[in-house]
Amino acid sequence: MSVGNNAIMNDVFINSLGAFLPGNPVGNSEIENYIGRVFGRPSKYRAASLKQNRIQTRHYAINTQGYPLYSSSEMAAEAIKAAVKNSEISLNAIDYLATSSTLGDGLVPGLASHVHAALNVKEIEIANFQSVCASSLTALKSAYMQLKTGEHGCAAVSGSEFASRYFRPGNYEGVESYQTTGEIPFQADFLRFTLSDGAGAAILETKPNARQASLKIHWIDIRSFADRFDTCMVGGAVKQSQNWKCWGDFGDPIAAAKAGALLLIQDFALMKRMLPVWVSHYLDLIDKEKIVIEKIDHVCSHYSSHSLRQEITILLEQAGAMIDEKKWFSNLYTKGNTGTASIFIMLEELYHSGKLQKGETILCHVPESGRCLNGFMLLEVV
Amino acid sequence: MPNVKIQAVMRSLIKVWADFATELDNVPLINKLLRGKFRLEDYQELLINQRQQVIEGSRWIARAASSVSSEYADQRSLFLKHAVTEHRDYKMIEANYVATGGKFEDITQAEKNIGTEALHAFMYQRATEPNPFDLLGAMFIIEGLGQKKAGAWGEAIKKQLSLQNEQVSFLLYHSTNDEDHMRQLETILASGILDIERMDRKIVKTAKVVARLYQLQLEEMGNV
Repeated sequence: MSVGNNAIMNDVFINSLGAFLPGNPVGNSEIENYIGRVFGRPSKYRAASLKQNRIQTRHYAINTQGYPLYSSSEMAAEAIKAAVKNSEISLNAIDYLATSSTLGDGLVPGLASHVHAALNVKEIEIANFQSVCASSLTALKSAYMQLKTGEHGCAAVSGSEFASRYFRPGNYEGVESYQTTGEIPFQADFLRFTLSDGAGAAILETKPNARQASLKIHWIDIRSFADRFDTCMVGGAVKQSQNWKCWGDFGDPIAAAKAGALLLIQDFALMKRMLPVWVSHYLDLIDKEKIVIEKIDHVCSHYSSHSLRQEITILLEQAGAMIDEKKWFSNLYTKGNTGTASIFIMLEELYHSGKLQKGETILCHVPESGRCLNGFMLLEVV
Repeated sequence: MPNVKIQAVMRSLIKVWADFATELDNVPLINKLLRGKFRLEDYQELLINQRQQVIEGSRWIARAASSVSSEYADQRSLFLKHAVTEHRDYKMIEANYVATGGKFEDITQAEKNIGTEALHAFMYQRATEPNPFDLLGAMFIIEGLGQKKAGAWGEAIKKQLSLQNEQVSFLLYHSTNDEDHMRQLETILASGILDIERMDRKIVKTAKVVARLYQLQLEEMGNV
């Protein structure tokens, strides 16, 4: 290690997890009561989107009038408080806060400042991580390194999303090309039926719990493949004659909105092309013996096993890389796809499910189509 | 008991494939297709290139088969079977070319580009070595293209150029049979060839070279 032979590295443990899901679960038939109907008509792609993502229920931080009940930072703070409540620490023990989110509460300043304010604790170090789903792991990794190196002793890490506020009809109805066709395209509509709101959080310490199980972090491995992919999931820019034009370059925000530069969209064909490099990253970790298939007891993946099964089962089998589907744990189908919050919400449920035994391992996986980012994390129940 | 050595080779090959497949998307010709800007002459150029690929392919596989010693007779017959399948393909490519308005003489007499020259020179060199099972790495890459890319390219070309199935049949037809090929590769890897010294590493290295040279021939379209 480059830090020198005398450096003492701490072990780092996830000692508690918390989740905050706003309101009641919303079933598939009620979705449009919350996110509304663009141009006053039911969505053309609703059924196709739900068939593809297989989500049954989700939560929204807006009411049926579109009125916000919580901000993203408030949800993050609630999730952290829930994690503290489940923990052996008190709130004022936290001396480092890392937040992650796809879209925070405003463009400036970063979400971490607002979450700190909402927590109402003394002066602490904070860091803001913004990308898409995998920023959950970049935030976790920063906390892991802060604790490992002894910079801090206790960290809170959150992932929070308030996607539904951007899915209301008004966000789409001003886009000129949609006005012409009278409908919004699949690449915009699919996300409306896929992403939902919520927050999750983890408390990390340099010693394990005294009274309950801890999840020791063995490693977090994050790789960007943006060198070879164009932007796949984009908000705040729009492609015009093969170049991305940022919403700030339109002269005024109304012109940007009319051009569709203020929407969240996803290019599915491009996302499909990312699968080989995600798989390659995984196989590389096997080759480096960071992942030993026989020693994995649970898999928490933000990527669903059914989509994986369709694509590459044979390849994974032959490569000795297939993990039995019985070991996969996911609550995406009941708690919704909450972006950066999902991995925390998944781990929170798994931790409290009674399924974990001492000595077992959990492999976490968070791919991000944004511009192709991929992360893995290995935990051990201690 | 799973064969750890086979699995390691498979993992390495899949990693080589992932790099290759993603870099390929940034080759000007393929990028143009992905941008929805393909022209008929781009497609015809691709067909010319594919024909050279297929014809030379069946020849180097046949030569490789003749370099296999008698103790590996079973593996040799697999190589030979392969050469026969490839042999039929080039007629389909010529038919596609003519169906898009190209002249038969143009596709049959076209000169190889500099990347194609390099690729095939390498293949023949390897195929001449004794027991050149490292060419399985080459086959993994080239067949991977057929199975995982050709179909998507074919669909995109058909759509962008408003073509009929019979004008794009080579690309469309090649996207099938994925599973069979993978099982075949596993079978041959399990047949004892990995006992040859350093063969596991040679297979992966040849896959890397072929991936790089295959990309080169697509980059050098028209550079004869």
